[in-house]
Parts: sequence; structure tokens; C-alpha cells
Amino acid sequence: MKNRLKVLRAERDWSQAELAGRLDVSRQAVNAIETGKHDPSLPLAFRIARLFGMRIEDIFDDGDMA
Amino acid sequence: MILPKPTDKLTPGEARTRQRLRKQAVYIGIAGLLGGAIGLLTGVFDRGDGNLFAGNWDQLALDPAVAMLLAVLLLFGFALLPLYGFRSIDDYKREQNFIAFTGGCLAVLAGFPMWAVLHAGGWGAAPNPFGVWLLGFAGMTGAYLYALWRH
Repeated sequence: MKNRLKVLRAERDWSQAELAGRLDVSRQAVNAIETGKHDPSLPLAFRIARLFGMRIEDIFDDGDMA
Repeated sequence: MILPKPTDKLTPGEARTRQRLRKQAVYIGIAGLLGGAIGLLTGVFDRGDGNLFAGNWDQLALDPAVAMLLAVLLLFGFALLPLYGFRSIDDYKREQNFIAFTGGCLAVLAGFPMWAVLHAGGWGAAPNPFGVWLLGFAGMTGAYLYALWRH
């Protein structure tokens, strides 16, 4: 699944470790999500969306948008 | 595992990540100490002629109290500590652990009957408990390495 996590993180000048700490996940998890190797659970997707003040679908794109 | 270099000003998120890594290091340290204690106790108090790998189980001997202590340590090392770990890790690492345990389970489910029929056909020794345990452990380790590589 594609996502804008890396861009959003860069806009705030956060490191992966900083974002991981704010989301209470490991840095490896952030890296795996950014590179599209891991899809976050729904609760984590909500935490990400709340952290950036956006909707989930504004951050994640499953490539199946009508 | 590489701990980030200490700096004068860690941001709140980086501080939490550092705390997570510290907790992980303590967890691994405790697991290592448990493993070391089990190995040391087994080595020092073993008074039998058996060998875990040779299959002569009936000749293994330990004092009852030492055996009980080892059983408790093994319960901590192989059940309670991992259970605590599963509750502490995030979704991503939990997924890797699920893959690992699936690998271990499938290795036993497929490996034991394969081993049994191969033995029945004259190929190798009969299945034994330690061998089946090793199958599960090797399957789990292999699947975990696959999960690390894949993800």
C-alpha cells in the first residue's frame, strides 16, 4: 500500500526514531511502513492520521480509489 | 541492535524510542542470563551418562530439586518471557513473530509424519522427542529469518 508517511515526516523534520516514539512503535515499523513492506493495523493507521491531523485516506492509498 | 548515540537534546519521540531500545536490551539480557543459567545448571549438576543429542534419554539424570528448578527456569525462558514480549512489541514485530511461530508449527506438523514414514521405509533413525522439538525450533528460526528478510 502506498503512503505519504515519509513526506509528512520530512515536512516536520522528524527522524524515523522521532516518529516511532510519537506513535509508540519501533523505528523498524516506521521504516517498513514508509517503504511499503508493512501495512499498519487500523488502530495504528488512526494514530498516524491523528498525529498528522489528517484522514487515513489522505495518508494511505490502496490504489483502488474510485 | 544499535542504540542511538546519546545527545544533549533528544526530542520527545527519540527519547521514547531510546527507552524502547533500552527495554529491548534488558529483555534480551534477561533471556541470555536465563539461557546461561539453564546451561550452567545442566552442565554442573548433570550426573548421568545420557546425551540429549544421542537419544539415550533413560541415562540422563539430575537431582529432583535441580530438575524442578530447571523446569521453572525453562517455563520462564520458553513461555512466560516470550508471552511478556508479545505483549510489549508493536504490530510489525508481532507479524514477524506470527510468521516465525507458523513456520515452527508447520515444521512439526509436516516434519514428524515425514520423519516417521522415512524411518518406516528404512531411511534413518526413529523419530524422538528432542528431534521433534528441534524441528519446531529450526522451523521457527528459519521462518523468522525469512520474515526479517521479506519485511
